[in-house]
Amino acid sequence: MFEDTIAERVRPLAQAFTDGGLTRLTVREGEFEVEFRRAPATAAAAAVAPANDVAPARPMDAILADVVGVVRFLRPPITEGMALDADRELAFVETLGIRNAVRSRGPGRVAMIYVTDGQPVEYGQPLFAIER
Amino acid sequence: MFRKVLIANRGEIALRINRACHELGVATVAIFSEADRGSLHVRHADEAFCVGAGPVASSYLNIANIISTGLICGADAIHPGYGFLAENARFAEIARDHGLTFIGPAPEVITAMGDKATARRIMAESGVPTTPGSGILATPEEAAAFAETIGYPVLLKATAGGGGKGMRAVESPAEMANAFATASAEAEASFKDGRMYVEKLIRSPRHIEVQVLGDQYGDVVHLGERDCSVQKPSHQKLIEEAPAAALDPAVRDRLHDIAVTAARAVKYTNAGTLEFLVDGSSVYFMEMNTRIQVEHPVTEMVYGVDLVKEQIRIAAGERLGFTQADLQPHGCAIEVRVNAEDPENNFAPAAGTLSRVEFPGGPGVRVDTHVYSGSVVPPFYDSMLAKIIVTGRTRESAILRMERALSETRIEGVKTTVDFCREIMRDEAFQRAGLGVDWLPRYLLERRTPAAV
Repeated sequence: MFEDTIAERVRPLAQAFTDGGLTRLTVREGEFEVEFRRAPATAAAAAVAPANDVAPARPMDAILADVVGVVRFLRPPITEGMALDADRELAFVETLGIRNAVRSRGPGRVAMIYVTDGQPVEYGQPLFAIER
Repeated sequence: MFRKVLIANRGEIALRINRACHELGVATVAIFSEADRGSLHVRHADEAFCVGAGPVASSYLNIANIISTGLICGADAIHPGYGFLAENARFAEIARDHGLTFIGPAPEVITAMGDKATARRIMAESGVPTTPGSGILATPEEAAAFAETIGYPVLLKATAGGGGKGMRAVESPAEMANAFATASAEAEASFKDGRMYVEKLIRSPRHIEVQVLGDQYGDVVHLGERDCSVQKPSHQKLIEEAPAAALDPAVRDRLHDIAVTAARAVKYTNAGTLEFLVDGSSVYFMEMNTRIQVEHPVTEMVYGVDLVKEQIRIAAGERLGFTQADLQPHGCAIEVRVNAEDPENNFAPAAGTLSRVEFPGGPGVRVDTHVYSGSVVPPFYDSMLAKIIVTGRTRESAILRMERALSETRIEGVKTTVDFCREIMRDEAFQRAGLGVDWLPRYLLERRTPAAV
């Protein structure tokens, strides 16, 4: 079956991703493309009980889309590594012409930006990871 | 024809719509809640978007997220299925305002038919018979006078009533004064409104409904009737069939004529159903459902018409591909709703993981479902897991086939209606046909207390 083939190909990659303590892994081969991203919740859990000898990661919060829409970056846009001294706007998700603010929910450092400007997102999709 | 259709629903009907779209060469976008990520309707669609959390208000009723999904994906139409937003005129209007064709009737028609009083008035004006009833009656004497004009027994009802409160069956004039006083007092206590009216009491009516299709050019056809009289005490349908057995041919023709007349009167487009109470040769209009219905497959099997494809074609502006004369029913079809419910405990719904799922097959068997072995039944939604539909040259052969199909069905992990429906197939009264809507509730009572019968 098609799905089984995919599962067979993905399994060893997933293993490598987990064992290596990676935060992001993308593999492309022809039409086949797979990307692993460590969910920030998992990253936080890893900080409590680090696997192997990976340096403990700082706790991270995932900022998820709570509406379906199109991501609009601010001008100038938020960049990875940026320090946030307080709760602030990171971007908007535009839904039926309404701009829904995406906020950092407190101070921290922008550890990862999962989306690009103009990208459509679904409900619950990770937009940013904020290191606290 | 559309390029891409957004399916604004879940479960078996979402999958059913997906199939119709793919057969028409139309791409599909599924929406799903976080609780439905593993559902078959998500797997089979060309694209799928999570629109919210498990509870329906966050997801399947979230108009902004659903319409937004349609726009993001470049869909040009929305199929609402049944339930959820299917009869929400505002949703249909918002879709239209955003350039998405709503696959259903015009929002104005949904509004008119959605209000029971308005629908009854429009139907009465078009000469469609409705249950005889009075306006507000101030005194028991007025109520008795009106009851004389329609004949006893009558139902005395509180205008604000619901759930049986403020409602009394009145068998004779002698009972009226007392019934009026107690029912009115009860309504006053429950709803702070003791105003009463009188309606004809139909003791054991059959629930018979007629399927219609109308295109955007004024052509309307009917696709016969369905008998949905086997209903749980909650009035939810459990077993449906087409055509209605043991029905006077004159009554059948009348139902069909009324349905087409009524649909024309409201300039109805797309698929719709007119529900009637049938009592002997008397026929009363109840309501019109402006959507595809759960039990549409029995009509499809008997008429050889794909109703969902017709809905999409009509919405895309195509003409009906057939005339009334082209539509001839063949044989009989029966549908059983396989629900995650416990028939031994008032059909209480159950949620959980389906550890094992095996559906029937073989000649004349159709299964519409979104579940599989290992799939999870979330607690947020309707408990229907599948519809098993069988056909037969005769009703007798269809019943035997349904019994066989249910005997092949294995669902483990939650209680279901499978065995109970199999028991009904073997019941003599069911086999004789022509049952009223009060039959199943009585059957359940007698089954529970066999000694008292």
